[in-house]
Amino acid sequence: MTSPAISIRNLTKRYDLIPALSDISFEVPAGQIMGFLGPNGAGKTTTLRILTGIIAPSSGSVWIDGLDVTEHSLEVRRRIGYLPEHVALYSEMRVVEYLTYRARIKGIPRAEQSSRLKSSLEQCALTDVSRQLIGRLSKGFRQRVALADCLLAKPKILILDEPTIGLDPHQIRQTRELITTLGRTTTILLSTHILPEVEITCQRVTIIDKGTIVAVDTPEGLRQRRSGLQLVRTQWRGAPPSVIESALKQLPNVMRVTFQGQSDGICSFDIESQSGQDIRESIFHMAVKNQWTLRELSQQQASLEDIFVQLTTHE
Amino acid sequence: MQNLLALTTREVKAFWYSPMAYAVGALFLFMQGGVFTLLITVLNDPRIDPTWAKISQLFFGGTFFFWFSILIIPPLLTMRTFSEEKRTGTIETLLTAPVSDAQVVLAKFLGAWLAYLLLWVCTVVLFLILSTHTRFDWGPIITGYAGTGLLGSVLISFGILASSLTRNQVIAALLSFVAILLLFSLGLLDAFIHNPQATSLIRYLSLIEHTRDFSRGILDTRPLVFYVSLSAVCLFLTGRVIASPRWRS
Repeated sequence: MTSPAISIRNLTKRYDLIPALSDISFEVPAGQIMGFLGPNGAGKTTTLRILTGIIAPSSGSVWIDGLDVTEHSLEVRRRIGYLPEHVALYSEMRVVEYLTYRARIKGIPRAEQSSRLKSSLEQCALTDVSRQLIGRLSKGFRQRVALADCLLAKPKILILDEPTIGLDPHQIRQTRELITTLGRTTTILLSTHILPEVEITCQRVTIIDKGTIVAVDTPEGLRQRRSGLQLVRTQWRGAPPSVIESALKQLPNVMRVTFQGQSDGICSFDIESQSGQDIRESIFHMAVKNQWTLRELSQQQASLEDIFVQLTTHE
Repeated sequence: MQNLLALTTREVKAFWYSPMAYAVGALFLFMQGGVFTLLITVLNDPRIDPTWAKISQLFFGGTFFFWFSILIIPPLLTMRTFSEEKRTGTIETLLTAPVSDAQVVLAKFLGAWLAYLLLWVCTVVLFLILSTHTRFDWGPIITGYAGTGLLGSVLISFGILASSLTRNQVIAALLSFVAILLLFSLGLLDAFIHNPQATSLIRYLSLIEHTRDFSRGILDTRPLVFYVSLSAVCLFLTGRVIASPRWRS
């Protein structure tokens, strides 16, 4: 498919003249999982609320599956499943009762309702609690009820605002697996704070900060464009830390040596060098020359977290 | 249509899940019981000549209890409709589903109006009891119910509009109570104004006058048009209020 599933063009949103989004543009190609990252208050939720037609943009346009969100609000709502940041459900209803109600207002044909309901409950591991009152469920379960609601109508596009927040580690893993599975057939825009989530699930990442887009790339692409330093982690035995530290500092291309601690005669150092300079061999030769034991020597890959912090930190 | 039915069913259910429904129901039936007691007392008084239309006139609009329930029940039935959804945030979940604003507003209206009608239907029992002891004309009683039901649709619409304006149920109830009280008071101005044109306008707007007509067995289209159009205006405005985040850029 050539046309993007989600297309945002020159979108601006002001709240009482204070800009929340300034002229942002990006696209989510059909069938991809796009991570949407940004610090708190960057404008993530505002963007998602405009995408789902809850609020209107101040200017610019938003297209979902080729339809303008403001003009074709109902059509757009039929094509998306939206999991809001703060899940709000009718607490006096039972899970199965709520999902049946949602299936009906979503216009799912009566004949398909029970099978759709069953598969949503299974996908979100809710079958055991389906007869319980929503108000009595834990936050993690309520989150999954909302997710099950999103999946009911098999939407072409899923917009998920922090889907794993408040879940336990086991549930987080299940949800991520579910997102990955869904991503094979569905376009997903996944807003999150949790960076490993993006590394695991997303094919592309958009980073937003202070209402502007600061990067759109694949996770690998982002790592490569990271400027600055490379990090090597080492562990030593055979000499006092001060001796090893001063020897390391004399190696060529070394920018900084950080002592990480000492226990049982083993001391650890993190060594930063200029990007593109591999210093691992010279560290090895130094160890051999001084007859020190080198217990660990590993190049650390820049994490998405480093990149995220680098892109969104303002001096 | 499936949407509207599903939305309305939920409204009706949500209402009966709340303890409020039973408190309102008990209060209402207590008051109507009071009206009935008065009615029996009057009918048993040998000094009063009972013409059959009077039963309906006494029951519908003839007592303080009737007007008190008309003023207080609709705000209590409608206060939570939108304000509760706004407070808990479920309104956004609702409005991101493929349902039109008109369907949402209409479902809220129907839910509350059905509850109101159900309360009044309970009072039919009183007339059934009466019918085993005396003969009377059901005609004015039926028109009395029709008038009360129509009047209810206006007051419920006021309440729905008030509820859409705030996330606080108590404020919603107060707002609609004040609005209903003002509308009711318009009819009382009749006694103070002597300009014939103003008087005819006031009569047209007077809830008291209309209720009197209905309870006499008179089915007039003028109050019908007035009630239906006033309800429609309130519900239209409610629709604009809930859609406002979508058009306020």
